[in-house]
Amino acid sequence: MLEVEQLRKSYGDLIAVESVSFAAQPGEIFGLLGPNGAGKTTTIGCICGLLTPSAGHVKVMGHDVVRDGQAARANLGVVPQEIALFEDLSAHENLAYWGGAQGMRNPKLRERIQEVLELTGLQDRAREPVKQFSGGMKRRLNFACSILHSPKVLLLDEPTVGVDPQSRVRLLDLVRAEARAGTCVLYTTHYMEEAEALCDRLAIMDHGKVIAAGTLAELRSVLAERDLLRLTGVFAPQAARAAMLRIDSVEILHGDESLLLLSLVGASQKLPAIFAALAANGAEVRGTTLTQPSLESLFIKLTGKELRE
Amino acid sequence: MGFLWTAVRKDLSRLRRDPLSLATSLGIPLVLVTLITLVFGGDQATPQGRLLVADEDGTFVSLALTSAFSRDPLSKMFVMETTAREEGRRRMDRGDASALLIIPKGFQDAVFHNQPAQLQLVTNPAQSILPNIAEETVSIMVDGEFYLQKLATIPLRGIITGQAPADVAIARMSVAFNQLGRSLSKYLNPPLIGLELNITAEKQENQNVAGLFLPAMLFMGLLFVGNSFALDIWREQAWGTLRRLATTPASLAAFLGARLISLALVLSGVALVGVGGMRWFAHVAVASVPLAALWLILSGTAFYLVLVTIAVHASGPRPANVIGNLVVFPLALVGGSFFPFEMMPDWMASIGRYTPNGWAITLFKAFVAGSAHTGDFLIGAGWMAAVGSLLFLITVRRIRKFL
Repeated sequence: MLEVEQLRKSYGDLIAVESVSFAAQPGEIFGLLGPNGAGKTTTIGCICGLLTPSAGHVKVMGHDVVRDGQAARANLGVVPQEIALFEDLSAHENLAYWGGAQGMRNPKLRERIQEVLELTGLQDRAREPVKQFSGGMKRRLNFACSILHSPKVLLLDEPTVGVDPQSRVRLLDLVRAEARAGTCVLYTTHYMEEAEALCDRLAIMDHGKVIAAGTLAELRSVLAERDLLRLTGVFAPQAARAAMLRIDSVEILHGDESLLLLSLVGASQKLPAIFAALAANGAEVRGTTLTQPSLESLFIKLTGKELRE
Repeated sequence: MGFLWTAVRKDLSRLRRDPLSLATSLGIPLVLVTLITLVFGGDQATPQGRLLVADEDGTFVSLALTSAFSRDPLSKMFVMETTAREEGRRRMDRGDASALLIIPKGFQDAVFHNQPAQLQLVTNPAQSILPNIAEETVSIMVDGEFYLQKLATIPLRGIITGQAPADVAIARMSVAFNQLGRSLSKYLNPPLIGLELNITAEKQENQNVAGLFLPAMLFMGLLFVGNSFALDIWREQAWGTLRRLATTPASLAAFLGARLISLALVLSGVALVGVGGMRWFAHVAVASVPLAALWLILSGTAFYLVLVTIAVHASGPRPANVIGNLVVFPLALVGGSFFPFEMMPDWMASIGRYTPNGWAITLFKAFVAGSAHTGDFLIGAGWMAAVGSLLFLITVRRIRKFL
């Protein structure tokens, strides 16, 4: 299993990660959500030993990643955000190299290479140079290189960035298969829908801190049944705020000259009243987006900003 | 240990897939040497060397002996430099000159009193053409002085002591020259003035310009291959494979060690062809081949360690490339890996021999010539191992930081 306890990573005065704690169990897919710059990759870096934590502890299958790094890394599989393969070598040669780096030897390595090639659907192209592969095939090989040694803990750092929808579905299936086989999976993403579809438990990060954690149901309950209403246009912030507070159950998450974010129950029924109140204050509404309760709306509620900002 | 060989296989596979980069690194020196050979007109080239003269006699006769070297065409081939005997020997040991001529004290007296005299000529075994020329010239001069001794000792003694002979005496001398010339065969017995030739090792023969340039070409190739291998670390950094490797139990020391082994294997092929080529062109003795080849491999791996240490300290692949070239080209030019030391101005050759490749190429030539032996190899290899180990540690430490 994977344990992260009071993790802190700073670079001089800049604190990249602060007091991050969570634990993921075997067979579980634990999601780490947050916008770019939230501290997800720094957290992954500390877990896989690329970065040395400034404070706190990370344990992989009971091995501290700083004090017992080699044993910890032997139990880890890391799927990096960017494809990390030798483009001039074949898929088979890449797998042989990364298997060797994980301490695997023939004939076990040879058998396992065949297994993962079949699993990722690359067996027919195994001897071709990787530079001839499509982006999706490279992603699958990138994944295959990380599961070759059947790691106990698998870290995936935004593995579907820039991947076509078909390859994404296939990749997510592979992740689920690993979890079903008993692997503890830590999955970072800024795609909320991906996290909702994949993860058993989640931690939402922003500015280097975990701002919410729990199962999908637990996190949704924070929102209750409140919808998220996003209005764009031209607003007088103070007047708009005052007008909205007069409408029942409206909570203002964010308000400036061009954007108004509201959390409210039964938003669709209250839209006419909201528009009328804003018009009376001289506001001009140019766009409206109504979102049902989701992780995305939870993130906006918690941080006042959108996940992809 | 297992990962080491996995990484070696990976490096060799990558080289096999991209033989052009290696061929380019080795091909550029070949093209340059071919062009230079053509420019210098093959065997017609006149490389310049240094002749050290330890003139302990300092007389008219000793000056006459060395005067040939200050006239054309020898003056174009040799820079003559007066030195003391011991200093001359020290400089010869360092390979600083083509030959050292020692004229002992009392040489003129010996000539004028029909006494035996012994000159010493110490030649540089790492060179072939110039020491040969020096030896031949001194031999001719010695023979000339011997016959002069037989013909004109008494009148000459008179000239030197300021007692010029009368006209009658000069006429008598002319007659004597004529008579003695006719009966020259009588004096073909061993001359009283001898030339003792000292060579620190077996002499090579028939070395042509290609032979002169081959060591330079090989070492230029080593520098280029080393630089190309060193810059590849930035390719791995850009691909993310180095960063990924750091998340596995494999050590970065094994990664770098594999690089050294892969390079050594590649250089074994280069050494085989290069030293084999030298054997063909420069008639290198078979016994000299193993040490010379091993030295070449060792030098190449040491150059790589220097260049990879520089590369990993650069701020990016482009600066690494620029800095690498800024190091390699001046080193090649000054360190005898572009133009051989024999063709350089003296001051530049003196500096060049202190550069890493200058030091290595000088020893390589000595191994090729058979004048340096296993002991010299072990001392040189020891130095390389010590400096190389330090650079290895610095590089591994730095790689971890630039991931």
